Amino acid sequence: MVLNLLAGIDISKLLGLALRTSIGVQAATFALAAVGLNLHYGYTGLLNFGVVAFMAAGAYGMAIFFTQGWLGGSLLLGIAAGLVFAIGIALSIGLPSLRLRADYLAITTIAIAEVLRISFRSQRLLDLTGGPFGLPSIEDRNANVSFADVVTIDWNPINDGAYGFWRLRFDEQTLWVMILGWTMVMLTTLLIWGLMRSPWGRVIKAIREDEDAARALGKNVFSYKLQSLIIGGMIVALAGITRSLNTGFVETQQFKPQTTFFIWTVLILGGAASVWGPVIGAITFWFIIVFVEELLRQMVDSGWIPEAILESNDIASVRMIMMGIMLAVLMIWRPQGLVGKKEEAQIDVR
Amino acid sequence: MTRRVKGILILALAAFCASLAFPFVASALDNDVVFRGTVRVGREVIPEVTITVVDAAGQEVGSTETGEDGKWEIPIPSLGEFTVQLIGPLPDGITVKDGASSEVTVIVEEWRKKSVGFQLTGADASTILEIPPTWERLLNRMISGLKVGLLVALASIGLSLIFGVTGLVNFAHSEMVAFGAVTALVLESSMGLSGGLFPIAVVLAVIIGGFLGLFLEKGVFGPLRRKKMTNISLMVVSIGLAFLMRYLMLIYHGAEPKTYESFKIQSGVSFGPIELPPKDYYIIAISFVTLVTVGVLLQRTKLGTSMRAVSDNPALAESSGIDVNKTIMWVWIFGSTLASLGGIMIGLTQVVEWQMGEKILLLIFAAVTLGGLGTAYGAMVGGLAIGLASETSTFWLDNDLKFLTALVVLIVILLVRPQGILGVRERLG
Repeated sequence: MVLNLLAGIDISKLLGLALRTSIGVQAATFALAAVGLNLHYGYTGLLNFGVVAFMAAGAYGMAIFFTQGWLGGSLLLGIAAGLVFAIGIALSIGLPSLRLRADYLAITTIAIAEVLRISFRSQRLLDLTGGPFGLPSIEDRNANVSFADVVTIDWNPINDGAYGFWRLRFDEQTLWVMILGWTMVMLTTLLIWGLMRSPWGRVIKAIREDEDAARALGKNVFSYKLQSLIIGGMIVALAGITRSLNTGFVETQQFKPQTTFFIWTVLILGGAASVWGPVIGAITFWFIIVFVEELLRQMVDSGWIPEAILESNDIASVRMIMMGIMLAVLMIWRPQGLVGKKEEAQIDVR
Repeated sequence: MTRRVKGILILALAAFCASLAFPFVASALDNDVVFRGTVRVGREVIPEVTITVVDAAGQEVGSTETGEDGKWEIPIPSLGEFTVQLIGPLPDGITVKDGASSEVTVIVEEWRKKSVGFQLTGADASTILEIPPTWERLLNRMISGLKVGLLVALASIGLSLIFGVTGLVNFAHSEMVAFGAVTALVLESSMGLSGGLFPIAVVLAVIIGGFLGLFLEKGVFGPLRRKKMTNISLMVVSIGLAFLMRYLMLIYHGAEPKTYESFKIQSGVSFGPIELPPKDYYIIAISFVTLVTVGVLLQRTKLGTSMRAVSDNPALAESSGIDVNKTIMWVWIFGSTLASLGGIMIGLTQVVEWQMGEKILLLIFAAVTLGGLGTAYGAMVGGLAIGLASETSTFWLDNDLKFLTALVVLIVILLVRPQGILGVRERLG
């Protein structure tokens, strides 16, 4: 029976697809976002449920700046605009809500993320954000004009062709964005590593452990939290920018609350409050997700799972169910994730 | 930073946010009810396209050509069913998408803005129904807001009570709301409980909803609480649970939004200046009676008193001989029963779909935060306020922005009075 089951399964395809995704651009953007969230939640103890707000700020900041052709429409300036927008979001989340209890902060952040998404989607901002259609506009997309081209074609030093072996072959554009993405992951991880060894990092961790004690030592807790929110938010914004440079467009569907919780799962899977947790989390998360999805797909196609239980159309939803189960189960049995320390991951922010 | 500088910064920020909202506010409105829209391909507008509106009897109501800016507008005489037809001619290369139609039927049953669109290849033609403000219409929006407010209140009480007795912010609460609506629909269609038998489906669905609450407490959150997990961790667990429930409903209930067979679209019944479909009168009455009953139960019965006592101070309640765990169990059952009932009512006014929970989640959170987390009466007050604010806002704002109003109310209340209207002030953060 087991052999029969194996006969319907293409193991090479299964492993190939899973590996390919786990080192791909998508995993890199999730790792980058998780690095930022790690600073917020893992180190500072801020329950940021509005991760997508920062991603959207970065992506839309860049896309609007570029498509409107402001200041000559330079992409670098656009990216800078995205980061500045993210700082604005950090301030507008932080100033009102950092004084609140953790659960209030969670609700406020998720609300601000939705406010941003609904505003971007509004017909009234059609000319600026493309409303529900996103950016670049449809006729630009039909003519294959996108801000992504500046990065994937104009800036691309790699010769045309396919690189790699087996199922891990990437064309020059994908490879270039992958290199850029993972380089940013490495640089930001190093930045966090450095910050956490600095006096600043020690204050941040002290705030997470006991806010009142930090305050008693004369530290301005509010200001430190705000700084953490801004730095982490800019890293998350970079993730949003990288993702839209890879997909070639931005639209509000990409910034629904579920993306926030994907990134939370990545962080908790890898290990909050650990330097390499976000990276390991992102790689493992995408490997597991794609592996299980593909396995289910092959089992449904070969008739091992009856249609009454699961149809092939439903497999996309299985991803969300897996994310939900992973989030709950990890929180219950392994809050420190794969590489975190248990004593640092037990956060009860009040 | 000194307090004063912070104050100025916050004010500046509020002014900045307010200025962002400004372009959303519709400026001058005409005095006729009109359909208006723009035919465009991305940002390129298409002039000289003929658009016609016919009523349900097939009579032409009006016809016009799009102007230089791609815009058109046709006044319509009354509420009812209309068909907007895109006659053409369309420029070369632009056609109606396969499977889509060049006719869009719009049912105007309420005085609110509404947008519909034609699906063209690479193009979009939008139609917005704009309605000039009059006091009568504002009154109708307010009644509609009252209805939504009562429903949100019904759905929120459980969340607030559960927070009160356990300290858990349950993100899966909105899925309990959706679960009630979906269960009632499944009962209606599979057991033939439609028409006059529909109340039986409602009662059964509410009971099943109660069992869901019992299961969540006995099977999930009770054991985890005894495992000494922190409330923050439990909150993250509830998020995981919410996704599990939501997407199980998608797989086994389907992606199609459905409506209860027993209550298809009903034409409005006038009551003075108020015009509502008959089901809305029932919904308002049932919700109101339920809320009053909940108040009486909490105030007058032994169980209600112990719920309030545990909510105030669990240790003191326990030492006065209240069985805290049993009370928490009843709160879960009670809260999830109300959530189910709220879900069914929401399903009656709108549609029943797997995404219901996601859509109502932030309204519920806004309601309980506004009223004060942990107080049942706060959830009622907050729900009413949020419902009224979001529904009356559609009088001035686009329909797709009504959630925005609720969320902005939430953020503002957190700024000025984080403990909510009825909450007790404690040191925060």
